[in-house]
Amino acid sequence: MKTKSKNQLMEKYSIFIVLLFMIILCTFLNRNFLSTGNISNIMKQLAVPTILAYGEMLLIISGMLDLSSGSVLALSGVLSVSCYKASGSLMLALLAAIAIALICNLINALMVTNFKAPPFIATLAMQMVARGIALFYTQGQNILQLDNYVIFGQGTLGPVPISIIFMAAITVIIWYLLRHTRFGRSLYAIGGNEEAAVASGINVAKNKYVVFILNGILVGICGVLFMSRVNAGLPNGAIGYEMEGLTAAIVGGTSFSGGVGTTMGTLAGAFIIGCLNNIMNLIGVDSYIQQIVKGAIIALAVIWDIRSKSKKSTRVILAEDKGKACTSYTTKKEKES
Amino acid sequence: MKRKIFGVLLSAAMLGAMLTGCGNSENAETRGTASTEADGSAAAGEKSGGYRVAYIARAQSDSFAAWLANEMQAAAEQYDDISLDVFDGQADDEKENAAIENAITNGYDAIIVQPNNGEAQRPYVEKIVEAGIVAITTNARIDGIEGASSVDADPYKQAAVNAKLALEQIPENANVVVLNGPSGNFHADKRREAWQAEFFDKRSDVTIVGEQIANWNKDEAVQYMEDWVTSNDRIDAIISMNDNMAAGALEVVTGKEEFKDILAYGVDGTAEACLLIQDGTMTATCLQSAIDLAKLNLETVHKLLTGEETQIDTDIEEVLITKDNSENYVQMYKNSGLLDN
Repeated sequence: MKTKSKNQLMEKYSIFIVLLFMIILCTFLNRNFLSTGNISNIMKQLAVPTILAYGEMLLIISGMLDLSSGSVLALSGVLSVSCYKASGSLMLALLAAIAIALICNLINALMVTNFKAPPFIATLAMQMVARGIALFYTQGQNILQLDNYVIFGQGTLGPVPISIIFMAAITVIIWYLLRHTRFGRSLYAIGGNEEAAVASGINVAKNKYVVFILNGILVGICGVLFMSRVNAGLPNGAIGYEMEGLTAAIVGGTSFSGGVGTTMGTLAGAFIIGCLNNIMNLIGVDSYIQQIVKGAIIALAVIWDIRSKSKKSTRVILAEDKGKACTSYTTKKEKES
Repeated sequence: MKRKIFGVLLSAAMLGAMLTGCGNSENAETRGTASTEADGSAAAGEKSGGYRVAYIARAQSDSFAAWLANEMQAAAEQYDDISLDVFDGQADDEKENAAIENAITNGYDAIIVQPNNGEAQRPYVEKIVEAGIVAITTNARIDGIEGASSVDADPYKQAAVNAKLALEQIPENANVVVLNGPSGNFHADKRREAWQAEFFDKRSDVTIVGEQIANWNKDEAVQYMEDWVTSNDRIDAIISMNDNMAAGALEVVTGKEEFKDILAYGVDGTAEACLLIQDGTMTATCLQSAIDLAKLNLETVHKLLTGEETQIDTDIEEVLITKDNSENYVQMYKNSGLLDN
């Protein structure tokens, strides 16, 4: 029994142990790794991928995913930049980005819940449409001369970069939503077994809409952070960023089978990828080798995911309000695979 | 269900409103004049009679390629006897080759190809020649196709003019970082080759403290530069194979006292680079003018179609832009609407 709980503890915190091991290794590899400047760099570089990863995590937990986030980020970003240039209002620019990303994600939700399109296909279609609109709108040209717009991605509040504040605040909000609300528990239930979730009275369609809405808000914020970080409206920017988000979520222990994943795990996953990218640049690893190493890490993460699934069983607890009646579902992962 | 459909329509309307509402002041800046077709089904030119020319662009998502496509359309407007249709290769060899085949089948009088990958398009450009259609390869040219013509900017020379200037400007025992374009890309490889031969081979005192492929992208360059600044106490120069990446790297060090004298070299002469050079943030770039390239392409295709000449290989001039002449090019971009007045 003692061994079992030890194993469970290892399983629960293994991703943080990996991160800790990486940080120690990186510190030995380069003396600058743990410098304040470098930690700040890593966090600034991670702000957008981590926020995107939270959106992907919420979707994957509830049995879906979003392949359109990179393109929607670009679309919302360039339109936000345009809005800023037309109005001069930072708040309006931020709201415009969120509104655009929200609309795109509402369409995704409509496709998935009402028209029963597989999320993979629905969001792939949105990926093409959003990128197409961004390119059509800008005619493929970068939008320049952003003036104060760069404050979102390059500004600081005291000594802390604003992008890091966004990331930290969103981390807390997502953690709270997932861990301490009925909505969060419902997502695990939907992703673990959708039919059982329906049977237990969860409004699956409504919850899926809410997840896409949350994802839209996150992608919209990323659009602003990304464009302001590079000081340009780049219609062809953030290509492949959805994969960065997905990778961080999966490395952080979110299971593609749904019903499994944590905010802190995803944050750790993003940091593992971020530290990996950072240390390879600091010690001057060749571009080609970097790709091989990153690919290998993703492969290892997936193997880890599959192995842990086959070993353990997942317990999803659907608690009624105020913890009155509890219904529990135990899903043998062998059965899923 | 009606409510749901209404919801969809409302969403679409909102999106439309955002697109039109927010972008009013941007229209002049970002919209070119080209009408393009992504699926290889461009409508026939509006000018009746005359010559029909197909332009197969590498990728409309690439900002330079998109600019060139727009300028090609604008340059074609100057010829009463030429109508130009633009097709998008979507940065995909298969799609670009299919677009070339479709253009041959559609019986265009001339086909101008901007290759995605020269060797992949070579057999298809040969097919254009075999079909008796005027063939031009541009940006970059595909060498050695008998009967085909070419219009290009020489990527080696473009980088070399920067490298020669850097020979004088980069201090002794300098630390430099190098940002490369995509591996295997003709222009990326040739520009790097020029820097090697014209600068690094002659300056053994210079140390490359960081070199990465940032794929022409500004955001990737930002990330690399952030890491290089952390791992190196001193960086004296940024050597970039295009302006986008140079601008990205400069974004990281701008305003930092310890990097106030950093030198930065790029290629392309983009609007952003010209502004940075005018501000004194960037050192130099070589103009690869899409306007000149488009004009020369149309001039060449016209000469070939009218039989004035049968084969032409020509390059636009490489113009070095420094603080001394940057104002002219900033003005050029202002006139074309790519920069605010």
